[in-house]
Amino acid sequence: MAVAGTLYTYPENWRAFKALIAAQYSGAKIKVLSSPPHFHFGQTNKTPEFLKKFPVGKVPAFEGDDGFCVFESNAIAYYVSNDELRGATKETAAEIVQWVNFADSDIVPPASTWVFPTLGIMHYNKQATEFAKEEVKRVLGILDSHLKTQTFLVGERISLADITVVCTLLWLYKQVLEPAFRQPYVNVNRWFVTCLNQPQFKAVLGDVKLCEKMAQFDAKKFAENQPKKDTPKKEKPAKEEKKQEKKEEKKPAPEEELDECDQALAAEPKSKDPFAHLPKSPFVMDEFKRKYSNEDTLTVALPHFWEHFDKEGWSIWYAEYRFPEELTQTFMSCNLITGMFQRLDKLRKNAFASVILFGTNNDSSISGVWVFRGQELAFPLSPDWQVDYESYTWRKLDSDSEECKILVKEYFMWEGDFKHVGKSFNQGKIFK
Amino acid sequence: MAAAAQSGLGAEELALLEKSLGLQKGNKYGVQGERKTPVLQTNNGPSLIGFITIAAHLVKQAKKEQLLGSTAEEKAVVQQWLEYRVTRVDGCSSKEDTRIILKDLNTYLEDKVYLAGNSFTLADILMYYGLHPIMADLTVQEKEKYLNVSRWFNHIQHYPEAGHMCLIVNFSLKFCDLFKSCRMDLDFSANMYNRIRYSF
Ligand SMILES: N[C@@H](CCC(=O)N[C@@H](CS)C(=O)NCC(=O)O)C(=O)O
Repeated sequence: MAVAGTLYTYPENWRAFKALIAAQYSGAKIKVLSSPPHFHFGQTNKTPEFLKKFPVGKVPAFEGDDGFCVFESNAIAYYVSNDELRGATKETAAEIVQWVNFADSDIVPPASTWVFPTLGIMHYNKQATEFAKEEVKRVLGILDSHLKTQTFLVGERISLADITVVCTLLWLYKQVLEPAFRQPYVNVNRWFVTCLNQPQFKAVLGDVKLCEKMAQFDAKKFAENQPKKDTPKKEKPAKEEKKQEKKEEKKPAPEEELDECDQALAAEPKSKDPFAHLPKSPFVMDEFKRKYSNEDTLTVALPHFWEHFDKEGWSIWYAEYRFPEELTQTFMSCNLITGMFQRLDKLRKNAFASVILFGTNNDSSISGVWVFRGQELAFPLSPDWQVDYESYTWRKLDSDSEECKILVKEYFMWEGDFKHVGKSFNQGKIFK
Repeated sequence: MAAAAQSGLGAEELALLEKSLGLQKGNKYGVQGERKTPVLQTNNGPSLIGFITIAAHLVKQAKKEQLLGSTAEEKAVVQQWLEYRVTRVDGCSSKEDTRIILKDLNTYLEDKVYLAGNSFTLADILMYYGLHPIMADLTVQEKEKYLNVSRWFNHIQHYPEAGHMCLIVNFSLKFCDLFKSCRMDLDFSANMYNRIRYSF
């Protein structure tokens, strides 16, 4: 009987693609839950209910209609495959596992180091990137000589090996492997393009456009984020002890590179409460958030907000993303917003925001309304909070003004004319 | 050698194709004219003449139209290779001809897995049949030289629709004789090992 179930993930997750392509071959029925209200990445996967099923709290995660649960993308892809994809003999099955593990251990680390900064989801380190490029060359070389005599990675048919390695190489081919860079690897290119053009891959990946010009780290946008040489840098807590260890860290160590998610989590500020000095305010943020989450926005939450808002203890801000021309794919734009929210996690008690993505691919803008404790923006207080702060223009609103009332209403409700924007509502995210 | 294959092999190839496509009842094939063009007598329609025409008909009979290409362009490319097969491959009469075919094909297959589009088609099947005698004669060094052709050839022979060429060899005495005589042209002892290792 064919497998059927639900796959939890965030949108456009290459790890989830592995299972989805395998399902195209096997006929497994997979329902994808990747966006609110059904699945909210960063929140749903941290709920006790989710953790009970998937203790690691990461996605992708698969729940069968029969109740069977499995996490780790490769395990999920294996589960939803058929025997042909898994390898019919012990030998082919072993070779397939070999390539799947090779993808994780030899391709994912350098690919992440090189590609993520170009997507704006990881900091850039020149040395590490250069090292990663060399690693990518090595890996492509290995694949190339294998594919000289082999049409597909294992046997004479597409298997999980091809699905996994293609998905792992996807971002490289889309972002940075420009024609001159990939040209020496004819055999890899032939195999890669042939796989992409199989109907089963196309059904999941659509038309993949190969990189024409190597995407670069955007220095302007992220210059501010680069930790100064002598300020404490964002790193895993375990590593921030001795001076000696710090020195060692300067040499490229790709196996220690953070992935896109670790990055967001590791960036959490560790400073003490920067609002401690403020006098008490009668406006209780938590109460408003409860109203906002559980009750009707127009008839309950908004009236509550204006009735209790304390303009001495709190301030309202309009923020607009400064580089709308860089917003190409809407899912990446969304990641930008949710990434910012994650980095600002420690601010949650003292802030609320509704941030909206307007427009479509290649024609988007991001803006939002923020409510902050105090009269100043909190961002400068912690270097970890400055990452996104610098990418937005911030304008304090006069809470008594008509403009402020309209903006608060439209942004909190995700509804209205949004006259100042000139693009239609695409999706909204709430920081609470 | 390949030129000779054209004369007798057409009908036998079609019979193999028919079988490999999973078609049950055996059609009756004849040959016509000096060039021994294959003819298929259909049950209640007109007889079909010509190798390509009959092969395409069999594919449709087997309801495997995708083997003729899925887009208009792909269909055209399939046709192109079928023509190439009967004109260039079957018409190939010298070592030099063979060399040119292999060289061209090797370049073509550098960035392609299949002859037409991104999937296995009738073009692959019939080119595979047509090249079989040539490939069987290659030394290891030559196979390495025409690596893209060798890889393609090896891949295609794993499709059930490609059938097993050895069937042809088995039931075609003429072909076997031909094959033997070809072998004698070459340094037999030096190439024997390679040929035995080869899929026959
Ligand atoms: N090895 C895992 C990696 C999964 C993973 O890292 N998932 C990330 C998303 S990219 C995640 O869910 N992170 C949430 C978190 O760490 O809280 C797999 O392939 O499934």
